[in-house]
Amino acid sequence: MTTRTASLAFVLALAAPCIANAADYTVQTGSTLGFTSNFQGSSFDGRFNKWTAAISYDAAKLASSKFDVTVDLSTAKTGDNDRDSALPGPDFFNTTKYPQAHFVTTAFHQQGSQVIADGMLTLRGVTKPVSLNVVFKPQGNGATLDVTGTVKRLDFGVGGGQYADTSVIGPDVKVTAHLLLAAK
Amino acid sequence: MSLRSDGRQWGSVAKFFHWIVALGILGNGVWGLLMADMAPSMNKITIFALHKSIGLTILALFALRLAWRLYDRAPPDVPMPRWQGIAAHTTHVLLYGFILAIPLSGWIFNSLHGYPLQWFKLFNLPALAAKNDELSEVAGEVHEWLFYLLLLVLVAHAGAALKHHFFDRDNVLRRMLPFARIRQSKTSSGEFQ
Repeated sequence: MTTRTASLAFVLALAAPCIANAADYTVQTGSTLGFTSNFQGSSFDGRFNKWTAAISYDAAKLASSKFDVTVDLSTAKTGDNDRDSALPGPDFFNTTKYPQAHFVTTAFHQQGSQVIADGMLTLRGVTKPVSLNVVFKPQGNGATLDVTGTVKRLDFGVGGGQYADTSVIGPDVKVTAHLLLAAK
Repeated sequence: MSLRSDGRQWGSVAKFFHWIVALGILGNGVWGLLMADMAPSMNKITIFALHKSIGLTILALFALRLAWRLYDRAPPDVPMPRWQGIAAHTTHVLLYGFILAIPLSGWIFNSLHGYPLQWFKLFNLPALAAKNDELSEVAGEVHEWLFYLLLLVLVAHAGAALKHHFFDRDNVLRRMLPFARIRQSKTSSGEFQ
């Protein structure tokens, strides 16, 4: 090893903690991604049965934390056959053309004691900013991560056209995820 | 014409309840039969919502009508053979039963299907039963068949009224018609009571 290489390695070793990434986690079974909306004055819950998430998070290193979530939209289930057969259709998710939704964080910021993840959601061919409240609780070797946020369905054309009447189908869709994380 | 019924004819409140419920339940029934096979669309949602709102209205009107009927005194029967009187009253009881059972069965059907129930977008009503897909199909059939049975009894009810009007030439129909004049003929005994 030359002196130059050795000193470069030494500098890198010193710098490493400063540019270190937040801890990476894998999502465990039992994690859920759900949503709540409103139809004819009554709320209903749904969930996506297939989705993946790459989670890097450290409350002390928010700058290098990152969520990257991909959702298989055809797996949405709300407990009602009519609704579940309508959701993948062209009026709602249009899964033939847009099979997946994608959310990736662009930055995290703190608002009081609340951590907020700002990101871009791509849904039905539209990309718009969406922010999520983050509650991260380290637990043993892993953590639980709870996020909530609100998506305005018409921003993304979900149930646009004939279904745009928000007095029948509510404008806001509350998204709730509960992730069980294991350290990588 | 007074609000209350008298010895000769039904009062305007009883007439109002009779004709509004008749119009509502027939219209909503035909509407319901036509809408059942619509393909899913926002129109279908709107049309079903209206059907349910109208049905709930009929149910509420029926409750008021029943209360009024108990408070108001029905005019005495027009003279007729005894069997006709019994048939007429049986038909009325059956019709009242259907007017109650059809909206209620719709409400139960809606509950078993797990749908919300909203009255003209103003407020929601609770489910009468927990969601159950199999029972929901049965309830849908019952809801529809009750209407067919109502039509059957209605044929007897309206047929008898027309028979009295055109053949017996008495006041059975006239005393329930909104603007008809009572015949001052041999058959009206009630007016002299």
